[in-house]
Amino acid sequence: MGRTAEQWKQKPPLPKTHYVDTRVYTDEGIFEEEKEKIFAKTWMLACHESELPAPNDYRTYHHPAGVNLIVVRGEDDRVRSFFNVCPHRGNTILYSPSGNAKRMTCIFHAWSFDSEGNCVGLPREKAGYCSGGDCSVSRDDLGLREVKTQVGYGGFVYVNLDDGCEPLEDHIGPALDTIIEQIDTEPLEVFSYHRAVVNTNYKLWHDTNSEFYHDYLHVHNRLTSMKQEGYFERKMIPYPNGHAEVGSQEVHYEAYEGGKGRAEAGFPGVEGNPWSLIDLFPGYSYNLRASVLRVDSQIPLGPNKTAIEYRSLGLKSDTVEQRRQRVLDNQTIWGPFGRNLHEDLLAVDGQGRAIQNGSRYVLHAREEDSTIHDEVGMRHFYAEWSRRMGRLAGDPTKAVALEKPARA
Amino acid sequence: MTIRAATRKDLDTAVRELIYRSCLRLDEGDFPGWLELCAPDLRYTITAYSPEIRQEMTWLDHDRDGMEGLFKMLPKHNSDHSPLTRHASVYLVEVDEERGEAAAVTSVVVYRTALDGGATDLFAVGKYFDNINLEGETPLLAGRNVRLDTRELGIGSHFPL
Ligand code: FES
Ligand SMILES: [Fe+2]
Repeated sequence: MGRTAEQWKQKPPLPKTHYVDTRVYTDEGIFEEEKEKIFAKTWMLACHESELPAPNDYRTYHHPAGVNLIVVRGEDDRVRSFFNVCPHRGNTILYSPSGNAKRMTCIFHAWSFDSEGNCVGLPREKAGYCSGGDCSVSRDDLGLREVKTQVGYGGFVYVNLDDGCEPLEDHIGPALDTIIEQIDTEPLEVFSYHRAVVNTNYKLWHDTNSEFYHDYLHVHNRLTSMKQEGYFERKMIPYPNGHAEVGSQEVHYEAYEGGKGRAEAGFPGVEGNPWSLIDLFPGYSYNLRASVLRVDSQIPLGPNKTAIEYRSLGLKSDTVEQRRQRVLDNQTIWGPFGRNLHEDLLAVDGQGRAIQNGSRYVLHAREEDSTIHDEVGMRHFYAEWSRRMGRLAGDPTKAVALEKPARA
Repeated sequence: MTIRAATRKDLDTAVRELIYRSCLRLDEGDFPGWLELCAPDLRYTITAYSPEIRQEMTWLDHDRDGMEGLFKMLPKHNSDHSPLTRHASVYLVEVDEERGEAAAVTSVVVYRTALDGGATDLFAVGKYFDNINLEGETPLLAGRNVRLDTRELGIGSHFPL
């Protein structure tokens, strides 16, 4: 029997950690608070080092706290990040998403900057700033705003807007230990990049990556994983700081029409066709399916809008044949025409619509001894979210002080 | 019409018609009909260049069996069924009578019309780079590279463009 309006609005008869009030996906105020309390204070994945292989190579990054950044490799090989904002009259300095610039020159009045953020060129400097003899402005005061930057965990460039932040290692902790040999033994290289802008909340995409109950959505996964031995033994492993891992399983790709094993092009230490997925707070995932590492990173643009960046990576040392194999493996289920990615996006887009139009609570209540269909991964994420926000995800209207993550 | 009997103008027209027909069949969701326009050694790819990573990318790459498998599995997938409509303009046709083949470049715009409400949005722009086999009774599509300018494709698609 359907529920009445009154019943629909009632809190689910479950522990507070086992459901989420959908206002955390729709409320403008909560989104603004997330920018301040989460995005501006957490390590964010900006790009991969292979996107800036040579000195003075740069990439731009739209930081979800609302700042455009330049990530640039210095002549000393160090990767640094800066606001993509000219200190003169505030123009955007670099317009292209990537390139190489020995001097990053603003098109407006031609001020230029080096890869360490120094102002190194200023047309008619003396005439404008030193007319009375003494100079009123020193170039030292005209440098770019630098942002904390660390490279690691497979060569990804992480940035943090908070100058007083904890080191990246403290944030990630042991969450990537299971795949560290695969991703950190030799350099990786991005071979596919695309962005999907979807009208949904970023947490809903992260949730999709954090629960495997939705394998019912994918015929590919039903055939290659769910029907295979060991599927229901896969364990969800929560880590500190809101990260979670889905334990590995051997995948039988040949069970899908035209599919075949992926052993020809692997990663160091990979045997057969295992699949591991690790979700990092607040919105990244490392998804390793034998021959391809897919890394999702989200740029939340509003309560109901997120840009999801998808990168697929192989080894830098790939032969032409190995790379071709990875590209073929990648496109079967991933990429904008992949069989699985479209399904995941279709579902999260539908959630975005429902959540704006009548959805009240979503349930994260399955408990199955932390195995594959247990919804513990999502509960663990919202425990960290609640702690950082000082609001329970199940009842976000009240401020609460949560020191340690609530029990997952 | 065989290649020997045909005039160059006939061949040019036949190639254009093949390309337009391939669009109509995909628009109608007539996948067996689309495959009838394809040669046994078909290779179909969707590619794009990413200025972000400064690399060529391949997002779909199938031979004829691969395309048949893709069509066969479509009903089992959860797909967005909002119809795609292709608007094509064949820009160039180059016929190589000696080799019995042609190459064509076509500008393509793909629109998506929402099932619910019928609003039409632009989905993608790009070009078809086609290789056409002219050796049989009718021209057949032997290679199609859908070269996309659009890279932000929203929720993506399960259907070839
Ligand atoms: S705004 Fe950049 S040089 Fe003036
Ligand atoms: Fe999925």
